[in-house]
Amino acid sequence: MPNHLSPPEGLDSVSLNRRSFLRTSLGGALFLGTVSVAAGLSGCTTAPADRLGAVETRMDARYQFQFLTTGDIELFEALLPAILGSALPEQPNAKRMTVAGTIERIDAGIHKFGPANQKELRQLFDLLNFGLTRVTIARVWPSWRNVTTEQADAFLERWRSSSIGLFNNGYMALTKISNVAFYGYQENWNLSGYPGPPEWAVQALPQFRNV
Amino acid sequence: MSFTDRIAQGLESGWKVTDGATLTENQTVEADVVIVGTGAGGGTTAEILSKSGLSVILVEEGRLYYQKDFKMDELTSYANLYQEGMSRTTKDGSIAILQGRCVGGSTTVNWTSSFRTPDATLNYWSKRFDLDALSPDAMAPWFDGREARHSMSPWEVDPNLNNDILRQGCEKLGYSWQIIPRNVKGCWNLGYCGVGCPTNAKQGALMTTIPGALDHNARLFHGLRAERLVMNQDRIDSLQASAMASDGITPSGITVTLKARHFVVAASAIGSPGLLLRSELPDPYGRVGKRSFIHPVNASVAQMPKLVDPFYGAPQSVYSDEFNFSNGVDGDVGYKLEVPPLHPAMSAGVVPGHGDTQAKNLARLPWMQSVIALLRDGFHEDSPGGTVSLRDDGSPVLDYPITDYLWKGIRNAFYTMAEIQFAAGADRVRLMHLDSDWYSSWADTKAAIDGFAMEPHRVRLFTAHQMGGCGMGSNPEESVVNGFGEHHHVSNLSVHDASVFPTSIGANPQLSVYALAARNSTRLAQRLQK
Repeated sequence: MPNHLSPPEGLDSVSLNRRSFLRTSLGGALFLGTVSVAAGLSGCTTAPADRLGAVETRMDARYQFQFLTTGDIELFEALLPAILGSALPEQPNAKRMTVAGTIERIDAGIHKFGPANQKELRQLFDLLNFGLTRVTIARVWPSWRNVTTEQADAFLERWRSSSIGLFNNGYMALTKISNVAFYGYQENWNLSGYPGPPEWAVQALPQFRNV
Repeated sequence: MSFTDRIAQGLESGWKVTDGATLTENQTVEADVVIVGTGAGGGTTAEILSKSGLSVILVEEGRLYYQKDFKMDELTSYANLYQEGMSRTTKDGSIAILQGRCVGGSTTVNWTSSFRTPDATLNYWSKRFDLDALSPDAMAPWFDGREARHSMSPWEVDPNLNNDILRQGCEKLGYSWQIIPRNVKGCWNLGYCGVGCPTNAKQGALMTTIPGALDHNARLFHGLRAERLVMNQDRIDSLQASAMASDGITPSGITVTLKARHFVVAASAIGSPGLLLRSELPDPYGRVGKRSFIHPVNASVAQMPKLVDPFYGAPQSVYSDEFNFSNGVDGDVGYKLEVPPLHPAMSAGVVPGHGDTQAKNLARLPWMQSVIALLRDGFHEDSPGGTVSLRDDGSPVLDYPITDYLWKGIRNAFYTMAEIQFAAGADRVRLMHLDSDWYSSWADTKAAIDGFAMEPHRVRLFTAHQMGGCGMGSNPEESVVNGFGEHHHVSNLSVHDASVFPTSIGANPQLSVYALAARNSTRLAQRLQK
């Protein structure tokens, strides 16, 4: 069993021949699995975050996270300003609230992905949350809590333009899940110029009436 | 709740419908026929068999959603009506899979486009897979019947601008185009087919054959996942199924055993091979899960000078087959051109990008138009299809490698789509490719496409049509079932969904599934009459 003080077994070959190892999807899958083990052993929690307190960052203090850990939440708090850019409100409180609400919707969406894709995301988030791989693989030096929006954006750009399919896949997974949860949310429809379902139809259809 | 809704009425009147989430005890149930799946194939089979007097039980992994749940909202619908909450992809993550998971299957969330199996496809099947009985003439009455059952006819309302731009571009370039037939009755032209028709106009399985079957005493379990078919000697003895909690995700721990004289599997081109593999049914030539086809889709987005509002109006009403069979049935890969609706969540997920650039792009959604190309895979030796296999937890996963033959077609389709959009007056065009910019002229776009890396992930690919995996044919060395959907090696098992197609169809597949399922269920009903 890997000692939590030393890098996971796969990491040595990664350091030596990083590109070719990660290029093969098999290498990628094995690698991500190894990271999850190491991350678990080093004490990174993979239990969903408890209800977070009713503080200024929480939209709805009653929301019970079903998948995202506190580490995952910090990851998204760092990434969302880069992913959503100027679509987020500028005013800091409004921005925090919008980010928090989006993270809750991301969590709810992931729950409905079912166990197979939850497992894939768990591996991706573990890679990003585990300090060693955050630094060596994602090339993000500060912890996510201390990452600036510029640094987050640079990380996303690296993965988007990388020739390594695993990173492209990670880029799409992170941005897709965030973009869908954000732009699909009724209060953000105006940001895409989408007026919502036609009002005349909403008025005419029985399912919109309170029974 | 409105009592003119067919489902609400039926439930009130005593339909035998059980929500798996409400079961508290393991139990055994029995009928003449157990049908796995309530989509195009399962619904058709259930109605025909139950009308013939056979007792039928339908088993659906997804949940029963109907008008009261259809509020034209993407996020709730993607989470509830689609496989894996709309997160399903191929094994390497590079192809997004749009597939239904609810009563009515993919017919509850499709965009209503209804096409007969092309003659060229049926003729190819006859020749290549010894399926002479499926000639266009032989199939014609079955297409007639299903077109009537599902109210299919060419859409008579003006195409929305999103679709008309495809028409305009084709006209300019001398490409043929036609109006799409749709399975709708009293359609309000709203455009929300993909999130569950809010007006009950869409005549998918949910509005037609499922009520028909339930009216004739069929029993439906929803929120019940088929795990394994259990054999006794050379026949299937029972189906083991797991009840799902009301979240549709978590097994509740309750098991239902279903016994029948005959079993029909119609769980989709991913679900059916999955079930057969989990059941470890006889498969001496290793055919189950092989030759899985998807009509790989690539896309182009245009910014038009006038307001398009691509989120309103019947989502698909114009198509072009100009490039579908232009190289013959089995030459360089052909593709069908269509238009997708662009609602905000789907658009935000499909257009690859982030940050200020993404925000600016998405802010222009009302001026956006899109063309998609659906590649007709499976007709050439360099298009052998993908493979469905089982993950560690028994769930099925599709691995679909894109071959050079297909990459060539995908690049050709990029050229075609962009050229059409410019011909129709686009200000600028962007391909769904990680390396694509916005281009303001056809010349610039063509040069960019010349240089695109044709690689997984970099090219954004999608599939809304899953076919194959339990292919039909006369030769058991090359197929899983015969032309009647009867399993070659198990005497009381049939497959009645798109998984039986030995190649892709070359057209949106729902009518092909309805027609074949009707034909094969009619024969099965005769066989099973006591």
